[in-house]
Amino acid sequence: MIVFDDVWFSYGSREVLKGISFKADFHERIAVLGESGGGKTTILKLILGLIVPDKGKILIDGIDITSLKEEELIPIRRKFSIVFQEGALFDSLPVKENVAFFMRELLKLPDEEIYSRVSKLLSRVGVQEAEELMPEELSGGMHRRVAIARALAIGKTKMFLYDEPTAGLDPINSERIISLIKDLSDKENIGFMIITHVVYVAWQLCDRFIFMKDGKIIFDGNKEELISSKHPSVREFIKELFFKIKEY
Amino acid sequence: MSITDKIKTTLYELQSFYLLCLHSIFKLFKKPFYFDDLIEQMEYAGASSVLIVSLVCLFVGMALSLQLSAELSSLGLKMYTGKIVGIAVIREIGPLVTALVFIGRVGAGQTAEIGSMILGHQIDTLRVYGIDPIKKVVIPRVIASVVMLPCLTIIGDLVCIFGGYYIAVLVSNQSGSFYWSSIIRELTFQNVFSGSIKPFIFGYLISCISCYYGIRTKGGAKGLRISTTKAVVTSIVVVIAMDFILTRILLYALGFSL
Repeated sequence: MIVFDDVWFSYGSREVLKGISFKADFHERIAVLGESGGGKTTILKLILGLIVPDKGKILIDGIDITSLKEEELIPIRRKFSIVFQEGALFDSLPVKENVAFFMRELLKLPDEEIYSRVSKLLSRVGVQEAEELMPEELSGGMHRRVAIARALAIGKTKMFLYDEPTAGLDPINSERIISLIKDLSDKENIGFMIITHVVYVAWQLCDRFIFMKDGKIIFDGNKEELISSKHPSVREFIKELFFKIKEY
Repeated sequence: MSITDKIKTTLYELQSFYLLCLHSIFKLFKKPFYFDDLIEQMEYAGASSVLIVSLVCLFVGMALSLQLSAELSSLGLKMYTGKIVGIAVIREIGPLVTALVFIGRVGAGQTAEIGSMILGHQIDTLRVYGIDPIKKVVIPRVIASVVMLPCLTIIGDLVCIFGGYYIAVLVSNQSGSFYWSSIIRELTFQNVFSGSIKPFIFGYLISCISCYYGIRTKGGAKGLRISTTKAVVTSIVVVIAMDFILTRILLYALGFSL
C-alpha cells in the first residue's frame, strides 16, 4: 500500500506539493490528473524515493521511505515498474539491448535466454520488427511500447507507474497504448498509477481519479463521483470528457 | 536571492562536488564493474581524440619554435631552440594544451551526455532498478579520463616536439641532430616526472567536474547549454590554476631552484 501523509515538496522557492495525503492499494487503477506543472510527476518520483519531500511521510507497505538510504530503497523500488514520459530508453543501445539491459544487469541470465525473453516481450507489446532499430529511429508510440516491454522485463512488479504515456501521440497510437496498458493490467492482475492531463485517457483506464490543482488534491473519487463532482475546477477539466463521450 | 542563500547554495554545491569526487574513488573497487562502459569511454576519450590533440599540438609546437627561433637568433642563441622547446613542452605546454583540448572535446561531451540522460530520465531509470549511476555512468568516465589523458599527453608532447623540429630544422635551418640531442638531454627524471604527473590529476579533475555538472543538469535544452558551458569554463579555470599549484609544488619537491 502507498500512503502519502501531509507531503510537501518544493523545487527551490516554488512549492509544488502543499500537504497532500492519500492512500492507494497496489491493485488499484488510479489516475492522477491536473494541469501541466502541477506536481503530478513529482508524486511518482516521491513514490520511488527519487526525491525526498520537504515535509510529511510516504509509506510503502508500512515503511517510511523518506529517511531511507539509496541502498535501502532498492527493495521498495522493485515493487514498481515505471514508464517515464517519452520512454527514457538508452540512446546508445538498440531496442533489443534496451529491453535486455536490466535482465543482463540484474538477473545475470545467459544471452540466449535474455534474447528469447526480449523477443517475447517485444512481440507482446507489438514492436517485434523494431528489435534492431535505435531509439531515435522509433516513432513516439513505438518508443513507449518498447519502454513498457523494458518495464515488464524484470517482473515481480506490484504496480505499474506511467508518466504521461500518451503525451505527444496521435489518436491511433494513443489508443494502442491505452489498450496495451489495459491488457497488461488485466492479464497480469497488476494495478497502476497513471499520470496524465488527458481526462479521456484516464476515464478509459482507471477506476479512481485524483485531481490536483495548485499543489493540492481537490478531488479523489471513482467514476460516478467524478461525473457528479460540483468542484468548478474538476467540472472545467472534465468538459473534454463529456464531448468525447458524446462523440461515441 | 539573498547573500546568505547564495553562500548556502555555493557551500551545498561544493559539498555535492566533493562527495561525487569521493564516491568516484571509494566505489571504484566495489562490485559490479562495468568493463564494457569503461572500454567505450576509453575509446571515446582516447582513440577518438588522438587526431584533434595531434593537430593542435603540431601547430602549438610549430608556433613555439617559430617564436623562439626568431627571438633567439637575434641574440645569437638559435641553437637553444631545441632545449627550450623540450623543457617547455615536456614540463608545461604538452600537458596543459592536451588538457585544454580534452576539456573541449571529452569533458563537454561527458557533461552533455550525462545531462541529456538526466533530462531523459535515463539516470532515474537506472536508480529505479537499483543500478548506481555513480558506478555505471561516472566511474567509467573518470577512469577513462585518468588513463587516457596521460596517453594523449605523451602523443601531444611528441607531436609538439616534431612541430618544433619542422620549424627549427626546415625553416630556421638549424641542425636536426643538435635539436634532437638537446631534446634528449632534457628528458631527465625531474622534467619527465613533472610533466607526467599533471595529466593524471587533470584527467581526474576534468571528468569529475564534467560529470558533476552533467548530473546537476535541469531545465531542458537551456539547462543543458548552461551545464555544458559551466563545466567547460570551470574545468579550464581549475586546470590552469592546478597547473600553477602543481608546478610550484613540483619545482620545490624536485629540487629546482628559483
